[in-house]
Amino acid sequence: MSEYGLRIGTPDVRAAGPITFGPAGILFLADNEAAKVFAVDVGDAGPAAGAEPFDLESVDARLASLLGCGPDDVAIRDIAVHPTSQNVYVSVQRGRGDAARAVLVRVDRLDGSLGVVELRDLPMAELAIGDAPAWEDERVDITLPQGDEGEELKVGERTIRILRRPIRTSTVTDMAYVDGFLLVAGLSNEEFSSKLRRIPFPFGDGEADNNLEIFHVSHGQWETAAPIRAFVPYEAGRSILATYTCTPVVHFPIAGLTSGTKTVGRTVAELGAMNQPLDMVAFTQAGEEHLLIANSNHGLIKIACHDIDVQEPLTEPKGPTGVPRETGDLRGITRLANLNGSHVLALQEEGGRRHLRSLKTASL
Amino acid sequence: MAAVTWSQVGGEECVRIPTGPAADERVQTGPGVEVRVRPLLADVAGVLPAMAGDLRCDGEDVCFVPRFGFVDGTTYIVSVAGVDVATLTRPRRDRRPTTDVVDILPTVQVVPRNLLRVYVRFSAPMSEGYAADHVRLVDDDGRELAGALFSTDHELWDAARLRLTVLLDPARIKRGLAPHREVGYPLQPGVPFRVVVDPGFCDASGTPLRERHERRYDVGDDERRRVVPESWALRTPRAGTLDPLEVAFDRPLDHGLLARCLTVNGPDGRRVGGTAETGPEERSWRLTPHARWAAGRHHLAVDPVLEDVAGNSVTRVFDRDLSRAEDQPRDAGTEVALGWTA
Repeated sequence: MSEYGLRIGTPDVRAAGPITFGPAGILFLADNEAAKVFAVDVGDAGPAAGAEPFDLESVDARLASLLGCGPDDVAIRDIAVHPTSQNVYVSVQRGRGDAARAVLVRVDRLDGSLGVVELRDLPMAELAIGDAPAWEDERVDITLPQGDEGEELKVGERTIRILRRPIRTSTVTDMAYVDGFLLVAGLSNEEFSSKLRRIPFPFGDGEADNNLEIFHVSHGQWETAAPIRAFVPYEAGRSILATYTCTPVVHFPIAGLTSGTKTVGRTVAELGAMNQPLDMVAFTQAGEEHLLIANSNHGLIKIACHDIDVQEPLTEPKGPTGVPRETGDLRGITRLANLNGSHVLALQEEGGRRHLRSLKTASL
Repeated sequence: MAAVTWSQVGGEECVRIPTGPAADERVQTGPGVEVRVRPLLADVAGVLPAMAGDLRCDGEDVCFVPRFGFVDGTTYIVSVAGVDVATLTRPRRDRRPTTDVVDILPTVQVVPRNLLRVYVRFSAPMSEGYAADHVRLVDDDGRELAGALFSTDHELWDAARLRLTVLLDPARIKRGLAPHREVGYPLQPGVPFRVVVDPGFCDASGTPLRERHERRYDVGDDERRRVVPESWALRTPRAGTLDPLEVAFDRPLDHGLLARCLTVNGPDGRRVGGTAETGPEERSWRLTPHARWAAGRHHLAVDPVLEDVAGNSVTRVFDRDLSRAEDQPRDAGTEVALGWTA
């Protein structure tokens, strides 16, 4: 793993966030409290899995049982599927407040058993993604930490330990790895912007990553920025398809763009009122690439990428709302991940419980 | 008969299972005998995984030390060799509420119809996971403005978990989008509303707030102009004094961004240290210097990300009407500086 710059260490993951696999079974974990992305080798040596489905009922209750708490204390932040073993990794925040712990759980593809992935003394790398507070920045809360957190400061004769925490923060909403780059979408707690961060991997000194400022136009008349909620790499990573906090699906070229570049995307679909897009994956059906989008209020939405490619930017102020799409009757799906070429794995809420369910791509 | 109890081993919380002569006859532990602890989960069928943890021998007792701490108020079932031998409930510690909402921002009385963002500041660090159900917009009759707030599982906190950012649904504010066309603005001009924080919002210790908190606003017209620092009125101090620099805006600006987007540089090009304060209704800002003002040229530097309460920044309006020349974005790379000579 040294070719990816990983060294044995213990990632101090404070808050569970989005996760995604990169090269060689390396898992990226976003920590929105520490404002870092960790890359860890999860050491998954499971056998290569085939094209079979994988289902696990009541995964929330199983997680609660494993973690020794009630289901209300299990917040599933994301799921990711190991590219070889197809074991399912679940990013879980266990408990709340001072008692909250970030936990990575591996669900065994073969027998459905659950185990905590101990993030201790394993090959890892980390990168700060927030704008770390500078000394002269007045926008920090300075507190006296309880343990050995923070840094030492000399005040006269005395040395005290202080902890500086920024008031401005950036929350990672989604990540994807493409060809030596980790793409990170985020949401600021202050300014309303739409930045996509492109971070080279192996992580360097943090200087080489760049920010793309992304805009989209609604109905040919109003150009706005908006934080990206979920996205997938498209056209072999030359572009991305992103969904927004404000529902459009937008196509952006990203190849060749340099830091600070402003790019205006092409709005190809709107997903409707009182609805939030939650996650999306690309999959192949009968040789054609499709996009599958999980929504807060609609069923799954399926869009043929062919239609995206030929869709002119939406220019009419009144419907239609973009590319043809099919809204499935599968509801309650909050997370999606590619399981294998034949199935998409969905985290679905039904009957008051959350379940892992395979959706056959040929039937979607 | 010795009972299975809450206990400690090596300074860690555990479940202690006596196995000596006085033990429960069902407790026949030894090599290869499985001891499992699991939380009691209602309405769940099937075999659930055992709670993650370690077993340690302590004298004649076996101690289960959990990988993650026991949760107050939760019931745990202890089984030995597949037989349930004990049910223990962690006592619930009822703490006296001590945390308050310090403020709801902005403090301006009349907000534009396209208000984008409010902040809630708390007196102590808070827990995540409560914002969606415990921050609401209601009208004067107490009816909730359904769908007014942006619903997200990504809560927006500062690093200390003292300030929560709450967004009104941007899809309903942005012109041209389907949600805006079909459902319309979250707010109505002339119809007052309140931002309500319910006491059930728990702080980091899991304790509710001391009381409900709210702020009432009136709603005015839309604000869709870029923030133009050149239109601000500066009351500049004389050299050699400790008088503040006072800046009056043409409208309320975002409270969070104001605190970091304005800086003053002296004739030597270095930042002037001082105490910065945002004025009433976020309509002004002042800097009182720590040292007397130097003589010469000063600049108020404005970070162009500075926004008003409707998300219009120095660089661009929140949603730009491409047919309006006056909405042309300002170059984002240029820092805006207002100069004066003391």
